[in-house]
Amino acid sequence: MNPWLSMSIRNAIRRKLRTIVTAAGVAIGTAALCSLIAFERSYQAGIQGELDRLGAQILVAPKGCPYDAASMALHGASWPCYLKQDYLARVKASAGVASAAPVLMNAVYDENSGAQWVYQGVDPEILALKRGWRIKGALPAANDECLLGATSATRLKLNIGDKFPLPGLQAGQTGTVCGVLNTTGDADDTFIFTSIGRAQAIFKRPRQLTHILVRLKDPNMLDNVVADLRGCDAGMDMNVVPLAHVFHTIQDLINSTRILLGCVALIAMLAAGAGVSNAVLMAVSERTSEIGMMRAVGASKTDVFLLIWLETMSLCVLGAAIGIAVSASTAPALERWLRSRLPISPESAFVHLDAAAALLCLALAAVLGTVACLLPAIRAVKLSPVEALRTGANSG
Amino acid sequence: MIGTENTAVAEALVKEYRRGAETVRALDGVSFEIRHGEMLAIVGPSGAGKSTLLHLLGCMDTPTSGQLTINGRSTSGLADRELTRMRRELVGFVFQHFALLPTLTVAENVALPGLFARRRAQKHADELLERVGLSHRRTHRPHELSGGEMQRVAIARALINSPKLLLADEPTGNLDTASGESILSLFRALNSEGLTVVLVTHNEALAKATNRIITLSDGKLVSDLRRSE
Ligand SMILES: Nc1ncnc2c1ncn2[C@@H]1O[C@H](COP(=O)(O)OP(=O)(O)OP(=O)(O)O)[C@@H](O)[C@H]1O
Ligand SMILES: [Mg+2]
Repeated sequence: MNPWLSMSIRNAIRRKLRTIVTAAGVAIGTAALCSLIAFERSYQAGIQGELDRLGAQILVAPKGCPYDAASMALHGASWPCYLKQDYLARVKASAGVASAAPVLMNAVYDENSGAQWVYQGVDPEILALKRGWRIKGALPAANDECLLGATSATRLKLNIGDKFPLPGLQAGQTGTVCGVLNTTGDADDTFIFTSIGRAQAIFKRPRQLTHILVRLKDPNMLDNVVADLRGCDAGMDMNVVPLAHVFHTIQDLINSTRILLGCVALIAMLAAGAGVSNAVLMAVSERTSEIGMMRAVGASKTDVFLLIWLETMSLCVLGAAIGIAVSASTAPALERWLRSRLPISPESAFVHLDAAAALLCLALAAVLGTVACLLPAIRAVKLSPVEALRTGANSG
Repeated sequence: MIGTENTAVAEALVKEYRRGAETVRALDGVSFEIRHGEMLAIVGPSGAGKSTLLHLLGCMDTPTSGQLTINGRSTSGLADRELTRMRRELVGFVFQHFALLPTLTVAENVALPGLFARRRAQKHADELLERVGLSHRRTHRPHELSGGEMQRVAIARALINSPKLLLADEPTGNLDTASGESILSLFRALNSEGLTVVLVTHNEALAKATNRIITLSDGKLVSDLRRSE
């Protein structure tokens, strides 16, 4: 090993307890920072990805909270209110609308398997929106036909042509698999798709929908279309949600969480920095005579600075490495906690620590170490060799 | 001839320290020359200014007034960077308390000044350890050695950058008589090979073993005796 580094590491671990406490401080700070960065990066990407895959620029939903509507449309749920199917024609009539796909969604609980199943009644227009869909087989057309998401097909152990009792529904309700969706990576994988008419019949919602997904001819017409739909007669009963705005509003909504995490990380980092600074200050004053000796035998001020910087760095890098490991191992728990508190969260993991985030944290810990070592290092550099030797001789 | 053969020339050296409001004059107009290959002792009562003089000779500090020339170069008014370079290249320093780093092995301690000089010194360190008879201790830590052994390690360290001048402040002050004698014979051997050696000491036997004794009192040079042979 490089003799400078080896000397500094040996100095850093000279006081074991102090080193452990100081490194633990850095570990806590880094863990908080690391978790914050992991959350910031993957949460935004997760929400954006889901909105993109939805394929719609506008969501038309029943009156109510637009974020609940977006979350239900994305992840599947039973809706508390319904839209009249007649509105579909009005939406399609709006200038600028390229396609409008009606959906009737419902979630049921299957007592046999203890699982939740989400049914979606769709019509062929859905293909105009879900550009990413690859279907083995066909969309449901005849009354008992079902299209299964990839995960649903695996869970139910079904193939095209199989007849099966619809899970979670009364006995006697059966379906025939007409197609299986390739894996999409989002909630569609877990759904069972039927025709609109079949879904309306099963859930006893004749001529009703839960939402309409709207794709525009030109994304720039968003404001015009939203204004038109809100202004029409049916607008009284419809919630016209521009999804691009939802994304930004979600960011605003979770701001308090981000600020909270940010403050925790900042305070933890500052406290860790103060701890490091203090530990190195103590080390410098304990080792005054050693520093004097080194200066006497030819160490320059730069050499003394370098040794103290390396010593601080070894402390900080050790602490940061522990902190990153802690953050990586607690990410799933943090994600569960955040999921229960955030108004909307993506299906995919959204507290995900990648190598870039870990490296960034390591770099920030190095910056922290450099700042923290300035005070003690400058104090050490300022010691005159004679003064340092005199102090040393007195203290033995 | 004599003028060019001097390792150090001191002219009317004054060193003052401020202690609060008062000024302490630790050296008060000291003049002398040290020739190449000399071995001399600086003696005098406590507080006489011996260590202060040694620190000036070792380029650890600069005089308040007067001139000090080491190896033909004046130290007055030199910046820290220059003083450091002179310490590294010209001077070897031996301390009363040995001042070895406890985290380093004996061999690493000896090689330490080489590290600061950015020089590969491990091989030379092994040779010097051989020279002071401690090869078998090279991987030991300082706390595993006796006082005399520690001081021999410190002397090896002082020699690693091949200095012109070896300075020692009470090198036997913390040693028993036998160890002190072995250190003395080491200094004499080094001196007989041509190294200039300056010792500050309270030990009369040590002082008498040198060719020249400078006595300081109250910061003044009160006698400078060469052994006439
Ligand atoms: N940094 C300093 N600040 C103030 N006074 C100092 C300083 N260094 C030395 N002195 C004073 O200068 C005088 C000479 O000190 P010095 O250490 O040179 O004496 P010494 O001859 O080595 O004594 P000893 O035999 O006790 O080691 C003393 O009065 C001392 O108190
Ligand atoms: Mg002294």
